[in-house]
Amino acid sequence: MKPGIRTSSKSRNALRYMALAAAAALPLSLPSGALAQSDTIVIARDTDFNTLDPSRSWCDTCQIYLTAVYEQLVRVGTDNESIVPRLATDWSVSADGLTYTFNLDPKAVFSDGSPVEAKDVAFSLMRLKNLKGGASFLAEGIDAADTPNAQTVVVTLSAPDPEFLGKASAPYGAIMNSDVVAEHGAKAGADADSTDQGEAWLLENSAGSGAYVLDSYRPDDELRLVVNPNYYRTAPDASTIVMREAQDAVSQMQMLQSGGADIAMQVDPDTARSTTAEGVTTELVPSYNFIYVALSPGAKGLEVPLTPKIREAIGLAIDYEGILEFTTGGAADLIASPIPTGFPGTSGLPMPVQDVAKAKALLAEAGSPNGFSMVAAYPETNIYGVDLSTMMQKIQQDLSKVGVQLQLEPVTFAVWRERVGGDHIPMTAVYFAPDFYGSGQYVGYFGMVPGVPWYNRAGGDDADGLANAKMQELMEAVRTVAPADAPGLYNQMALEMIKDRVIIPLINPKLVLAYRNGITGVRNAVCCNLPLEELSKN
Amino acid sequence: MTHYLLRRLLAMPFLLLGVVTMAFLLGNFVKGDPLASLLTDRQMDNPMVVAAVKARWGLDKPIPQRYAIYIRNLAQGDLGVSFRTKRPVLRDLLDRLPATLELVLCAMTFGSLVGTALGVAAAHWRNRLADHGARLVALIGSSVPVFWSGLIALYVFSVQFSWLPGPGRLDPALRPPETVTGFYTIDALIAGDWVIFQNALAHLVLPSVMLGWAVLGIISRMVRATMLDVMQEDYIITAKAKGAGTLRVLLRHALRNAMVPALTIIGFSFAYLITGAILTETVFSWPGVGSYAVDAARSLDHPAIIGVTIVGALAFLLANLLTDIAYVFANPRIRLE
Amino acid sequence: MINAHRLRLSTAIFKGAALPVTLGLAVIALWVFTMLTIPLWPLDAPLDMVGRRLQPPSAAHWFGTDALGRDVLSRTLHGAQFSIPIAIVVVFAAVIIGGALGAISGFFGGLIGAAIMRLVDVTLAFPPILLAMAVAASLGPGLENAAIAMVVVWWPLYARLVRAQVLEVREREHVEAAVAAGAGPMRVLCLHILPLCWTPVLVNATMDFGQVVLLAASLSFIGLGATPPTPEWGAMIADGAKHFYHWWIAFGPGMAIFAVVVGFNFVGDGLRDLLDPRTE
Repeated sequence: MKPGIRTSSKSRNALRYMALAAAAALPLSLPSGALAQSDTIVIARDTDFNTLDPSRSWCDTCQIYLTAVYEQLVRVGTDNESIVPRLATDWSVSADGLTYTFNLDPKAVFSDGSPVEAKDVAFSLMRLKNLKGGASFLAEGIDAADTPNAQTVVVTLSAPDPEFLGKASAPYGAIMNSDVVAEHGAKAGADADSTDQGEAWLLENSAGSGAYVLDSYRPDDELRLVVNPNYYRTAPDASTIVMREAQDAVSQMQMLQSGGADIAMQVDPDTARSTTAEGVTTELVPSYNFIYVALSPGAKGLEVPLTPKIREAIGLAIDYEGILEFTTGGAADLIASPIPTGFPGTSGLPMPVQDVAKAKALLAEAGSPNGFSMVAAYPETNIYGVDLSTMMQKIQQDLSKVGVQLQLEPVTFAVWRERVGGDHIPMTAVYFAPDFYGSGQYVGYFGMVPGVPWYNRAGGDDADGLANAKMQELMEAVRTVAPADAPGLYNQMALEMIKDRVIIPLINPKLVLAYRNGITGVRNAVCCNLPLEELSKN
Repeated sequence: MTHYLLRRLLAMPFLLLGVVTMAFLLGNFVKGDPLASLLTDRQMDNPMVVAAVKARWGLDKPIPQRYAIYIRNLAQGDLGVSFRTKRPVLRDLLDRLPATLELVLCAMTFGSLVGTALGVAAAHWRNRLADHGARLVALIGSSVPVFWSGLIALYVFSVQFSWLPGPGRLDPALRPPETVTGFYTIDALIAGDWVIFQNALAHLVLPSVMLGWAVLGIISRMVRATMLDVMQEDYIITAKAKGAGTLRVLLRHALRNAMVPALTIIGFSFAYLITGAILTETVFSWPGVGSYAVDAARSLDHPAIIGVTIVGALAFLLANLLTDIAYVFANPRIRLE
Repeated sequence: MINAHRLRLSTAIFKGAALPVTLGLAVIALWVFTMLTIPLWPLDAPLDMVGRRLQPPSAAHWFGTDALGRDVLSRTLHGAQFSIPIAIVVVFAAVIIGGALGAISGFFGGLIGAAIMRLVDVTLAFPPILLAMAVAASLGPGLENAAIAMVVVWWPLYARLVRAQVLEVREREHVEAAVAAGAGPMRVLCLHILPLCWTPVLVNATMDFGQVVLLAASLSFIGLGATPPTPEWGAMIADGAKHFYHWWIAFGPGMAIFAVVVGFNFVGDGLRDLLDPRTE
């Protein structure tokens, strides 16, 4: 008989009891709404803050923050088109278009109770220009901002700019309490980019006149806003707004379903469709964002020069409708030109079509009947519900049918930037979201005219015939033409850009608004992305 | 032995310098536009803006000069400012350290307790079902990619059955407790908030279990081995002959002596825990040092990459040193040398 | 009595070890076979859209389809063509580079030997995944760069291992005899010392194959390794995380990684039991 080690039932029982006790003490998911206060709204978002300093910020989430906490001189109205008064009650423009005189609302006060004055406007605008941050180009045209009295600001531009008011309405045109921020090291002078120390304070405090004030900010975790006690307009319904970091659509949807969030901002159409969410509303609304591919005739290492015929052939080989289906399941629209549909000048533009036979014919005419291969490097990202890798793989499939073999190289943004600016990339994909309501920003970014960013990236000076003289004429004309005639000129410019076939816009994704039933005021606004002061919860 | 330890301690500063240098080189010889996270798309073609950004972040200086500046700042405890969060890297790391520590400690506790239990069971019922079962559990722990098991666990427990909460440390509707230690569980208890305590604990369950599983394997194997060794010893046989109950023999006599060498495994587990923590935090949206490291690597945030690598190496060195000391004390043969 | 116990233990372990080792070898053999012959299999092409997107497992597609309508089973099996060769290449490179440097350090010693060991110390001071991430981030995306990063992380272990072995074997009689007989240092090193060092290297290497597969998948998961449309397992799991509710996209590659790593772990475990029974 083996030396007896009798297995003790005591040890087994002990384990069993411990397991039961543990299970009993184990708390489950919170029942929804059990702890949420009735006027706290939680927003789940992949916050891409680069900073909270208005003069340095540049990001989609920054737009939401800046319009909730600060105010601008003017704002884009609820029709997403017209400029309406905000801090400025009225304004006048000089005949030569160089001088803008704004009259400020005497009732406007900052969150500490002090009045909003002309000097604050001047300080904020000049700081935006002089810090040379992400949005400084909006204020680059400003020569001076004078303050004849506390309620009047006179802005002088170096050249007439019909879109100046649009730029002033951008969230980055936020007006700060100059006394308070200057006290904490902020500067607005010409050398501000090397002397300003205000960012650190602005990462923890806000000094604006908007509906909310900054309560706390923990990067990659959450941003907390509370209502501005001295708000001079009607107080918003929600007393606290929390923006919670949630990096992907799936976690956002989970938070929405469990009641952990009231609004989810980046749910993509696929995720929205595949979740049976009770108590959750999902809406598809049009947006002005678009995703495009760009061809660079001046890129190094091209097997075959990207002549206009070849570019047209590539454009004709793409299955536009198929891409919409693949990347968003159909929750997107086609887009005709590098100006988003709905912006000035986009009515009546021809939508792109696929024509594989013609593409093959053009390739043969251009001397490449059997096609060729080409590098396609792009930033590996998922934006506005579209996974760029998915999109590029679909394009790869499309182009292989006409013999063009794409070598896909997804890279990080940093690498992409270096390549697109340096050696240039034969074919790349990227996205664009409007900075304000106006078509000038698009032609000034995508037009094939020397000095324009995409002209440089397309290798403009290295590629013959890329410069579009007509485009340049139109761009100069629109600066001085009467406002009513501008859309016509933009329309012509859009047609030129389509003809250039350097920028091929592909997807105009719809935005999914996802929020719990009982939340109202959720809309996609050109002014602010999501106007927080309109939100309310039942 | 003291010689050996002394040598190790004396070598530390040089090792640290080597670590810092390697980290600095890795962080600065990075492929891609170093200004990527500092300069926006719209402005990258504007030479004035580019120059301003370079000047602000010291990227206009040559590398040796940057290295000297970095070492000088490091000596003062300044790890630079993150390109991404615009806050001092040290502050970012200190903010996030409690989250990672809480996770790692819970994982370690889970792994140690269950691992020890499994090891004891495996030793006791050697070569029988319990032994094979323990071996299987250990094997799964070290073979399954933690980012996959985490996803599956989330899907099954949080989405399908709603038994456990989703990613994150706390339900978003709840406000984190007043920071005393940074551990949501402890701080909640200090504040007397039972609801937050329960919630934080619930959120810790899945990530700790997934993270601790690999450690569980190592520990159970180690405990099994040392228990088997110890159980051959005379005093065990004596105890059994005297009629002591199984549990008493196992726990009071065998385990106590088996634990000492098993403690040496702690340092070794640390490597697994750091690796696993980085991936676990990514899957569970845990705002700790691990996810910070991933964000830094993805966005080429030089100062953060360098900072995290240095701090990680420091922690690793410390853990290894402590393990070596523990090993020396635990193994009398070496001690007497 | 103690010795008899130990002997019985060893035989029991040998018998017990045989089953897992056989199982492990079988699994690995299966995967290698898959890797080598897969072009001949009647599977859907891994890069082509062959079905409707995001379809759950069905008779037509056993593991369902992913976001681009590709067959997940096919992609999973094709993944073997990436993950297994990478593991083999990385481990071999690490063994050769690390082993050579370790041997030099152990045999010749001196300043170079010390310098090598200092480099080993510094490299080993970093948590492996952090170092791999930092190197992969600085080299850029791509499986080749991830492989380089992993070799950088792994070679020091083998350097240390081989160095320790060389130091020990160097003292043995037959080595001293060879030296006394007038054999040159390279001859002594290569013919007399190194052949006796292979045991721990082999055991470690087999265990490391599995770890390399895991690390490669981890790097790809984070986005620092394989790039689309490569059907690499880690990248596929990252895809699956994006489409979380379509659980099958991540399921196949995850099981594949598990199977391969378990196979290598079993073999490594068994080898260790066989070659050094006392550790059990």
